[in-house]
Amino acid sequence: MKKSKIAAVALASLMSVSAMAGCTKTPGATTAGSTAPGETSGAAPAQIKEFSAFFAVPATTEINKDNEIQKIIADKIGAKCNETWLAGQEASEAVGVFIASGEYPDFINGGDAMKALYEAGALIAWDDYIDKYPNIKEFFSDYEWSQFRQSDGKIYWMNPFENIYGEDKTTTQNGEAFWIQARVLEWAKYPKIETLDEYFKVLEDYNAANPTTHDGKKNIPYTMLCDDWRYFCIENAPQFLDGYPNDGSCMVNLETKKIMDYNTTPTAKRYFKKLNEEYQKGIIDTGAFTMKYDDYISKLSTGVVLGMCDQWWDFAYTVNDVFKTQDTEKYGYNYIPLGLTIDKGIENQWYTSGGTLNVSSGIAITKNCKDIDGAFKFIDDLLSQEIHDLRFWGVKDVDYKVDDNGLFYRTEEMRKNAADPTYKTKHLCTYSYFPQWSGTSRDGKNAMMPTEQPSEFKDSLPEPVKKVFDAYKVNTYVELLHSVNKAGVWFPMYSYSNNMKTDTAGGTAWTKMGECKHQWLPKVVMAKDFEKTWDEYMKAYAACKPEDFIAEMQQELDRRIKAYDDFVASQKK
Amino acid sequence: MKMKRYHAGDIIFEVFLVLFLVIFVVVTLYPIINTLAISFNDGFDTIVRRIHFIPHQWTLDNYKAVFAKEGYRMGAVNTVVRTVAGTLISLIVNAVLAYVISRKRFLFKKSFSLFWVITMYVNGGLIPTYLVYQKLGLTNNFLVYIIPGAVSAFNMLVIRNYMNGIPDSLEESAQIDGAGYFKIFYSIISPLCKPVYATIALFVAVYHWNSWFDAMLYNKMHDELTVLQYELMKQLQTAMRSAGSVEGLKNSGTTITPTSIRAAATICTMVPILFIYPFLQRYFVTGLTIGGVKE
Amino acid sequence: MASNTIRPEDLQAHKKVKVWAEAKRQPFLLISSALLLIYGIIFYYIPVFGWVTAFQDYKPAKGFFGSQWVGLAKFQKLFENKTFFLAFRNTLCMGVINLVFHFVTAIAFALILNEVRIVFAKKFVQTISYMPHFLSWIIVTAIVRDILASDGIVNEFLMNVCGNESPIDFFAIKGYFWWIVAFSNVWKETGWNAIIYLAAITAIDPSLYEAADMDGASRLQKVWYITLPSLRPTIMILLLINIGNVLNAGFELQYILGNDVISDVSKILDVFILDWGISQFDFSFGTAAGIFKSLIALILVCLGNWTAKKTGDERLF
Repeated sequence: MKKSKIAAVALASLMSVSAMAGCTKTPGATTAGSTAPGETSGAAPAQIKEFSAFFAVPATTEINKDNEIQKIIADKIGAKCNETWLAGQEASEAVGVFIASGEYPDFINGGDAMKALYEAGALIAWDDYIDKYPNIKEFFSDYEWSQFRQSDGKIYWMNPFENIYGEDKTTTQNGEAFWIQARVLEWAKYPKIETLDEYFKVLEDYNAANPTTHDGKKNIPYTMLCDDWRYFCIENAPQFLDGYPNDGSCMVNLETKKIMDYNTTPTAKRYFKKLNEEYQKGIIDTGAFTMKYDDYISKLSTGVVLGMCDQWWDFAYTVNDVFKTQDTEKYGYNYIPLGLTIDKGIENQWYTSGGTLNVSSGIAITKNCKDIDGAFKFIDDLLSQEIHDLRFWGVKDVDYKVDDNGLFYRTEEMRKNAADPTYKTKHLCTYSYFPQWSGTSRDGKNAMMPTEQPSEFKDSLPEPVKKVFDAYKVNTYVELLHSVNKAGVWFPMYSYSNNMKTDTAGGTAWTKMGECKHQWLPKVVMAKDFEKTWDEYMKAYAACKPEDFIAEMQQELDRRIKAYDDFVASQKK
Repeated sequence: MKMKRYHAGDIIFEVFLVLFLVIFVVVTLYPIINTLAISFNDGFDTIVRRIHFIPHQWTLDNYKAVFAKEGYRMGAVNTVVRTVAGTLISLIVNAVLAYVISRKRFLFKKSFSLFWVITMYVNGGLIPTYLVYQKLGLTNNFLVYIIPGAVSAFNMLVIRNYMNGIPDSLEESAQIDGAGYFKIFYSIISPLCKPVYATIALFVAVYHWNSWFDAMLYNKMHDELTVLQYELMKQLQTAMRSAGSVEGLKNSGTTITPTSIRAAATICTMVPILFIYPFLQRYFVTGLTIGGVKE
Repeated sequence: MASNTIRPEDLQAHKKVKVWAEAKRQPFLLISSALLLIYGIIFYYIPVFGWVTAFQDYKPAKGFFGSQWVGLAKFQKLFENKTFFLAFRNTLCMGVINLVFHFVTAIAFALILNEVRIVFAKKFVQTISYMPHFLSWIIVTAIVRDILASDGIVNEFLMNVCGNESPIDFFAIKGYFWWIVAFSNVWKETGWNAIIYLAAITAIDPSLYEAADMDGASRLQKVWYITLPSLRPTIMILLLINIGNVLNAGFELQYILGNDVISDVSKILDVFILDWGISQFDFSFGTAAGIFKSLIALILVCLGNWTAKKTGDERLF
């Protein structure tokens, strides 16, 4: 009896196995009529094109099959795209498997491994298509498009991000800064803080006068995150302190057009010496070098940390939310960015306006795509204002309202919905790795993205931060930095160094330099004898052959400058 | 006298035993209870204070977030099917293999053993393996969950080791009665191997239940072939990503964090598989039959 | 000298006949082994042809036949890297420590559990014991970090009871790391690892215990003289299998618990391979490192097997 029962279960499961195996044989693309049941709208186009996409980055949101806005968009433009994201794998591995097997989705964003896709001949050249699709063409200036050209002179992908339409609506310093809690500034009567020394002086003085938080926890005047790739928080400040923008891996001398190494400058030494002094004084968190990212977030969230150097996106979303929900923002725990330099009188470039074009990766169409024109049209349609609003604002009167002046706004309820995971998966569809605008909407009033809408921004500011803004007479975080934009046509250089691999001498040096800095920077900061340790570090650093790296970067810099000159020359003709 | 010594030693032994077990249970249960507490605690609250045994701010949001995605339904079905089918097939194949290799008179006993032992330590790497599966039509196919992993040298060796402990006399007397090798396997050896079969069934079932790598590698572009743990894995990465993205919009009122959602997801996947073991435990009866048969 | 009467040819012919006769007696064994052989070749051995990529500058687009041959350059790159030896040493040491802890704790736990007479308690404890196996490493490490944090339970104990003046930063001290890893492994896997021994204990002939009772053996003596020796074949097999896995000393645990201050002892081979191979789109480098690991594993296993042969223990092959 029992035996036959088990056999029956086995057989049943086997049969369902083979049934499923059969299912998969039907091609996934362009299956008409696969719209969800319950769809009765007669106005729907007869056939909705289905594209597939793979993004070699982890998802920010994965949406449901019957996502509502995805459906609305599909009905309007006659196409949808099923997105697959990287999960549990290295981007290079995922891309490597695609290349080896020759099975590509219609769209692909290979992340760091974009070049490999190009070299494998997996991508469709865009040159013959761009002019046909106005929204795509408009996305970049001719010069910007030219920067995407590969070694064969053709364009194969476009970066979807950080592109500003019309007036810049940026309010937050999304990039790096030295941050300081609002409560410290208030206590110090909103002083002018311009240098590293002044910054630490304020932190020390405040901590001496107020050693604890509202609930009696001991303050940590300064901490720094060194966890894995996030060690930029300690590592790259010297470039900013010298007044250079975030080229990420080097500085570019504006006059001589030469690559400079920010790791070995006198400023770098002064910066780490300062950190070393403060560490010996007990101002810097002793657990800084062993903490992990979530430890760091926990520390910041309890409000004990007075200051640190970091990029906004790395901490603010979680930490500010915690302050809000735990009702601790009234104590002035929110962080204010400061545009510090090593000495007074240096113009800083912590904030670089106008968007940052990273040409090293983006969305591409593969040779396996059966309907190339359809794919381009899909991207083009996603950039039209109507669809763009649907993607980022949502459905009118459901996700946002319009006031008498035509300005979009959201109620508290709507904001809550927009961040609710369940709502996001079933209702919102941003196609988040397809091209998108920030800046001002084509209506000239609203922001392209809800986060940049002035009313949305002001409403969300806590009282102590508003006071800081008033005291310094500014309206946004960005204005606090007093940054001056001087970035050259080559900016940002990291779009090249990010993709360097160990197959070149420069790339090998780059990887070794990274390992070396990881190993030595904690030692340098903690050293009893700073000078001696610094010299040892410099010796170890020199052994990584940074000159190989610099040389390769110089080559790329020269190439970029020449490409620009050539472009200008060709325009004149 | 003899009796007294016997008792004294045993009492100390017994006290030690109880003490050990109590400590063991506490130490082992702590991470489970901790995870359970975090799964029911407000995510942001977990960030600012340490949760030990009891949630501080009760919430069901973490569980709601886990089930926000519809992929779970499909994933759960596939996982159950692969766990049941995969375990049965694996068990049968490994048992046959172990039986063959453990026969004293099997002509290729040694070389065949070596053949399988090697498979434990060499592998061709991700891409070559993918290409082989692709050629066999196993990519974008449910069968990739069942077939490639069916034989495992480790499981085979554990069964073989157990079979080696069964006296040869049983086989010999059956052969005298005219039984073939299959008959001996089916009606004499296998019934004696219940405890080890139960062990291997548990190993394989847990392996299938927890697997996501194969779904990610071979079926990632086919949502209908997803498995439970892969959905969870994706959900976690999403939570992690959106904690640091524009979409994890500020001042939103939801308080899901990677830590809290991970705890809830862990509890959700752990509970079903925990029931397998008590079910298999009844086959772990000491001295089942071998002792009896031997006489 | 009986051999004088038998010529070598006869002996061979005799053997052939014997083999043939034996083969005819075991069709089930031969057929099933043939099928399994084909299966093994397809799923385990054919992919190993991928090892040729270690001697190429493999590019997925060019395939196995189109990629450029570079001889031993990838191995050279591997062995010239100073970090490689550091990672190799760390992996080996952690692997050996884990191996020892794994065996001692799992066997001890199985033996102790076997002595529990109350069936309910036994089942209860065992069910609990393997539950941590289902927690992911990320969760376990988070708890380990909590416990060992500067304001964690261990430091509170040390400061309040043992009179330490300041908390110890356990993750900043190189000497502790391997033991923290070992402890975490024990905590998570002991109950799970014990299952195999518990199953093996069921095969012990009860009459052995009855005989020991007659002789007035204490329970400890019975454990020592009956249970443990009966487990010997199982222990040997698992030991032999796991010797080959010492270089797979885990990945997530070291990756999550390690940090820059103690990277000298926390960096392991798999992380190194990831950093220098796969992340660099250099799959050949990863394959070369994989071959190195496989060779070490096979050498260790063969040595172990040979030793087992000498001592007359259960062998793998």
